[in-house]
Amino acid sequence: QSAGGEAMNESKFLNTDSSAGSVETTVKPLPFKDPNFIHSGIGGAAAGKKNRTWKNLKQILASERALPWQLNDPSYFNIDAPPSFKPAKKYSDISGLPANYTDPQSKLRFSTIEEFAYIRMLPSDVVTGYLALRKATSIVS
Amino acid sequence: SQGCVDHPIVLTEAVCNPLYSRQMMSELLFECYQVPKVSYGVDSLYSFYHNRRQSWPCSGLVISSGYQCTHILPVLEGRLDAKNCKRINLGGCQAAVYLQRLLQLKYPGHFAAITLSRMEEILHEHSYIAEDYIEELQKWRSPEYYENNMHKMQLPFSNKLLGSTLTSEEKQERRQQQLRRLQELNARRREEKLQLDQERLDRLLYIQELLEDGQMDQFHKALVELNMDSAEELQSYINKLSLSVEQTKQKILQAEVNIEVDVVDSKPETPDLDPLGSEQSLEDVESINEFEPLFAEDQPEVEKPVAAVQPVFNLAEYHQLFLGTERIRAPEIVFQPSLIGEDQAGIAETMQYVLERYPKEQQAVLVQNVFLTGGNMTYPGLKARVQKELLEMRPFQSSFQVHLASSPVLDAWYGARDWAVEYMTREEGWITRKDYEEKGGEYLKEHCASNVYVPIRLPKQAPRTAEALAPGRALTSGTGNPCEQA
Repeated sequence: QSAGGEAMNESKFLNTDSSAGSVETTVKPLPFKDPNFIHSGIGGAAAGKKNRTWKNLKQILASERALPWQLNDPSYFNIDAPPSFKPAKKYSDISGLPANYTDPQSKLRFSTIEEFAYIRMLPSDVVTGYLALRKATSIVS
Repeated sequence: SQGCVDHPIVLTEAVCNPLYSRQMMSELLFECYQVPKVSYGVDSLYSFYHNRRQSWPCSGLVISSGYQCTHILPVLEGRLDAKNCKRINLGGCQAAVYLQRLLQLKYPGHFAAITLSRMEEILHEHSYIAEDYIEELQKWRSPEYYENNMHKMQLPFSNKLLGSTLTSEEKQERRQQQLRRLQELNARRREEKLQLDQERLDRLLYIQELLEDGQMDQFHKALVELNMDSAEELQSYINKLSLSVEQTKQKILQAEVNIEVDVVDSKPETPDLDPLGSEQSLEDVESINEFEPLFAEDQPEVEKPVAAVQPVFNLAEYHQLFLGTERIRAPEIVFQPSLIGEDQAGIAETMQYVLERYPKEQQAVLVQNVFLTGGNMTYPGLKARVQKELLEMRPFQSSFQVHLASSPVLDAWYGARDWAVEYMTREEGWITRKDYEEKGGEYLKEHCASNVYVPIRLPKQAPRTAEALAPGRALTSGTGNPCEQA
């Protein structure tokens, strides 16, 4: 039985190759798998053997929400932590120290005069980078 | 094993795993791998099981922080109380990405060298969690503390110093210079080609004249030399060549006109086009180098003088990253997600929220056994921080106890091994193949370290050959009222 040793070197993309091992002549059947397995997660009536649509997390959650949950049942989306009740503390974008001041031109926070001079000298892409880090980029200006 | 996996499998899944995911997994295990029995569990609960001190079943509050997310799980009498657990979508991955962006913005010249794996190295070895964040930051304000505690990371040498520190205008200038050089090259090539073609054309015309003059012998000899058969072929070749000569002349004229236009246009845009462009970028690098120690240390006096052109600067230092407050900022996001812009609450607040959903006696019981596990909990100083947060939120002079897992990264596996060894021959907790076939892929047998099973049947995915979808959704008698379905 030659399938034993060399099959261990197969790639791990089992699902797409596992079905109908006899048809795929380039794939050696793995010894621990049932060679007649056809995965049922195939989307679309017209989808062929290769077009397996796997759902991503958003789709999975969307279809989970549609199921008949009771009010107190735990589910993946039920256990998300609630938003914070306390106001967020402000830290400087450059150095992380507690920031009392904000630059009106670029909306970056700073805590010392030297930081302010540094901010004024930054190119615009670095400024937007810092704001994006804080998710403070505003579409409406 | 011939076409199957012979032994039972213990597998971890997410807390409150979606039924669809479990169905897919069960299908894979039972149908494709022919596993005899399977057990699903939650990794942090296995870790809790491994670290149990007193008799089992016990209660406690499990806080597990992994690579992707952080869970707060209250465990009552050995069973997970699933309706009160909470998940924060921040973990080691988000901390590494945050640190990477911080350093990339601070050192834009080293954009490509600041990789995620280096960030993880920094997090594992050089970061810690401050017991009191604000106080720790105040300590970092003083320059001596900074000098003593700043960590430097040396990046490998790269030769693209100057190219990466150019501003966008200077980059444009470089591009235009290269364009001009290309154009000149093309023009030169065209002229050479024109010359060659012209010479060839002259030679052919001369041979044609031979024919007209009537010197047939020489004409034929020349034809043979050229590998041509007849006069008509010669004529057609002459025509083609003269055409291409014309075209080349046209192109040269056009190119000259373009170059003139370019030169005229670019002059007002780039007044500083001069060979000192390279030294100017060096100056920029100098000034950036100078400002960084300034702002990190917060010193009022200037360290290095703003240079006139100094072509030599400290190459080694240019390739170093200085890690100051970043050491505590990056792991802090799991306590203060607002640092990263997330609006979820941090660990401390979520713990308080979870505890408040219980009556006071149960709160006291839970708080006696706070258990920390998970790879993201291995920062030095984390246990002290959690104790301080608990001290702030619990009533005055009440007691609590915080334990850290004996090996936070691997304990889930040890716990699963313990459980499997103990329950191997027993029936409870295992989903056999028969169960799978009767009750569907999303069935879960509850045990001490598993999720809570909510008995909702999913329609079995229609196999490829079947046409119709499974009719409707079967509800077990447990869940009562039929809800509207999307």
